[in-house]
Amino acid sequence: MEVSAPSNVSLREFGCEQSLLSRPDGSASFVQGDTSVMAGVYGPAEVKVSKEIYDRATLEVLVQPKVGLPSVRERSQEQCVRETCEEALLLTLHPRSSLTLVLQVLHDDGSLLSCCLNAACMALMDAGLPMSCLFCGVTCAISAYGQIITDPTSAQEKESRALMTFAIDSKERKVMMSSTKGSFSVHELQQCVAVSQRASERIFQFYRDSVRRRYSKSL
Amino acid sequence: MKETPLSACERDFILKAIEEKKRLDGRQTYDYRKIKISFGTDYGCCFVDLGQTRVMAQVSCELVAPKESRPNEGIMFFNIELSPLASPAFEQGRQSELSVKLNRQLERCLRNSKCIDTESLCVVSGEKVWQIRVDVHMLNNDGNLMDASSIAAIAALCHFRRPDVAVQGEEVTVYSPEERDPIPLSIYHMPISVSFSFFQQGTYLLVDPCEREERVMDGLLMIAMNKHREICSIQSSGGIMLLKEQVMRCSKIASVKVSEITELISKALMNDKTARKAGGRCGFAESMPQERITALKVDETPVETADVTEKASSIIKEAEAPPPTAPSPVVPVPGVGQVGLGLQNTWGVEEEEELEEFSSGDDVEEVTKMEEDERKNTKGDVVEISDSEEEEVVILHPEKPQKAENVKSSFHQKGAPSSKKKTKQKP
Amino acid sequence: MSTTGGMFAVLKEKVGQVLVPGDEFCFGAEETISLSESAKPERAVCGPGLRRSGDRLVVMKSGVLRHKPPLTFWIDSQQKRYVATKGETVIGIVTARAGDTFRVDFGGSELASLSYLAFEGATKRNRPNVQVGDLVFAQFLIANKDMEPELVCIDGSGRANGMGAFGAGGLLIKVSLGLVRRLLAPNSDIRLDLEQLFPCELVVGMNGRVWVRASSVQQTLIVANLLQSCDTMTTQQRQQLFRRVQQGAL
Repeated sequence: MEVSAPSNVSLREFGCEQSLLSRPDGSASFVQGDTSVMAGVYGPAEVKVSKEIYDRATLEVLVQPKVGLPSVRERSQEQCVRETCEEALLLTLHPRSSLTLVLQVLHDDGSLLSCCLNAACMALMDAGLPMSCLFCGVTCAISAYGQIITDPTSAQEKESRALMTFAIDSKERKVMMSSTKGSFSVHELQQCVAVSQRASERIFQFYRDSVRRRYSKSL
Repeated sequence: MKETPLSACERDFILKAIEEKKRLDGRQTYDYRKIKISFGTDYGCCFVDLGQTRVMAQVSCELVAPKESRPNEGIMFFNIELSPLASPAFEQGRQSELSVKLNRQLERCLRNSKCIDTESLCVVSGEKVWQIRVDVHMLNNDGNLMDASSIAAIAALCHFRRPDVAVQGEEVTVYSPEERDPIPLSIYHMPISVSFSFFQQGTYLLVDPCEREERVMDGLLMIAMNKHREICSIQSSGGIMLLKEQVMRCSKIASVKVSEITELISKALMNDKTARKAGGRCGFAESMPQERITALKVDETPVETADVTEKASSIIKEAEAPPPTAPSPVVPVPGVGQVGLGLQNTWGVEEEEELEEFSSGDDVEEVTKMEEDERKNTKGDVVEISDSEEEEVVILHPEKPQKAENVKSSFHQKGAPSSKKKTKQKP
Repeated sequence: MSTTGGMFAVLKEKVGQVLVPGDEFCFGAEETISLSESAKPERAVCGPGLRRSGDRLVVMKSGVLRHKPPLTFWIDSQQKRYVATKGETVIGIVTARAGDTFRVDFGGSELASLSYLAFEGATKRNRPNVQVGDLVFAQFLIANKDMEPELVCIDGSGRANGMGAFGAGGLLIKVSLGLVRRLLAPNSDIRLDLEQLFPCELVVGMNGRVWVRASSVQQTLIVANLLQSCDTMTTQQRQQLFRRVQQGAL
């Protein structure tokens, strides 16, 4: 079944707190509906010799699940986030150093990967690491009836026929990373990309607003 | 990553301050830092802030076969994760001395004290029992992880609800929360650990040491106690000799602290219960401090999607513009098949265009734009013949020869030699 | 100058506003530097957080855009991690002695080296009395991304100029880099407010470390805690707090 015009498209309420942890160089918690992720960044810091790269910083991303030890699912999320961050960060400005990004899942109620991406971006920004652009994550689900749902809850995710998460850059709204599950047509994919690009504008505006609020006392 | 070293001046100052009964954050000797207990959206999820120290505990359950030695008892499993989030010195997946020590202490505090009725966790004797797993994640280490973990773990256990089960003959049915209300664990008492750090060989004593105090201390005494003043576990580390009176004094202080903390946990549990009953939102999202300037929240926002369908269709239409010729495989020599555009071996051919599957109208435009830029830049430039073996002459758009003439300058792409075949540049 | 005025006008308009990574300032098409025109365009100095990429000026950190005449621009951001910069003075902790050098932790991505001879009056025979764990106030002689940073405790003419080992009796605290810059700014308002409380000694390193010493432990602790809370307060809130301390503590 082909998708009809997207109608039920909205982002759940979302929020973020920056610099909430005292130890990391940058930290943020990002909340989308009930889904929440806490992110912390250390770096540029000392790097292990085995991981040293002579012309750029080594970025390590760790996703900590709430229950049990990290498994394949977390590894794949780590990779998605890492590749996105590597694209956005100007790693060559800090050669032979390490950046560690730790993402702690606090609650999963759908759209976890996009929440991880958003938390990661806020934490990197908080740490003041040089970035060429910002990025955000948007998850779209295609329901069994062919409707596009953005920022789905876990219940909506379960009922969906396909699930895709895109990382979108702030400069040209290009897709930096995509992770998909389930089956969908080219038309549906393009529609989801277009919807995500639209949704990303809201998130980027939110980034800007929260940074502005944060610096409101030092203007 | 290494921890920042502690300088001699900090060490001297902290010790001098302790001698004068002063602490870094202005506390008194026996004061705890501010404790904040909040619960997550799930049952069995608890956040504890002890000053800047933050931990999260999550309880989960699973039906497993019991231990052979105890066929009628459920299993308790504790796991303290020293996540690298909490401190740069913590490494993922490595059992450090500290993590072993904390895990062991938590087990002694909560499992060996028999505070949870494990027999009620038995479903079918000898076959199926509940395994209760407690994961404690360190989020920020500013000292005294043990006390924060023990508070978080016991509060999470009190908050937890396991699914209801019914046994009919051989069959075990687990009901979802919608079918039957989940059941809380039966907890006899709540042991809470209280840490004391000793300085100058036991002359000075502090409750709830912060991170810098922990680095200076000589010894540590952890007493786990419940509100009935029963000691559940006691552990001294750091190789310090303590007198009987010192231990007695500590246990007296502990009993006061434990009753205060127990009170706090019960209050937090009550608050959460009323909030849930009222149907209000609860969980981490709600505990975000709205008044801070570092925090911001926006309500549910609709996404404007008026022209999304048209946009998608147009992209696809343009993407399909190149004629979708059904390529028939060509077999140049036996055993070799070729499919694709051109169907020629392009090795040695000096120009080639890589068609990307999704190259849409946008791309074409970009290329033209780039062409123009290129022309502008190379105006007046001497056409440089590269000294690499293969000529790096690239003609963009063979379809438009009149334009291509102008751009026929060699353009260098720095870096990998393979880039020679790509005409698409990052804008 | 008309050729480049366009971009700088836009930039100046944004001074004092909050920018985020990815924000760009572009020379318009007519503003590109043409070779025929002999006049040299004005040169802008990009400070921290700004980067030139082709004909664009790109923001790479979030923060407030600041400007200093004639054409110096930078982003004022609150961050914790220090990145070594040549010429800046920092507070380091000596972590080891290795041959003829000390290894010094300054909170960056690697340890800096500090030669035995880089102290005032030090010679091969007369070595400075510096132990592991001591604090040094030193200046970066070498600091770039590709080389090991090197610190010295003397200026160009061989004088200590306030640098060297120090630290007895005081407390070292960690604050944000933004606060350190505010403390070091000429006529810093925080410093002026502090001066009115009670006499204290401050050593402020650009790497976010501040060493405090007042006449008593109590007063040292008060100053340390006040400084640490300054980051999240407006000027009014801070002055109120300082006033309260003054009434309560004296």
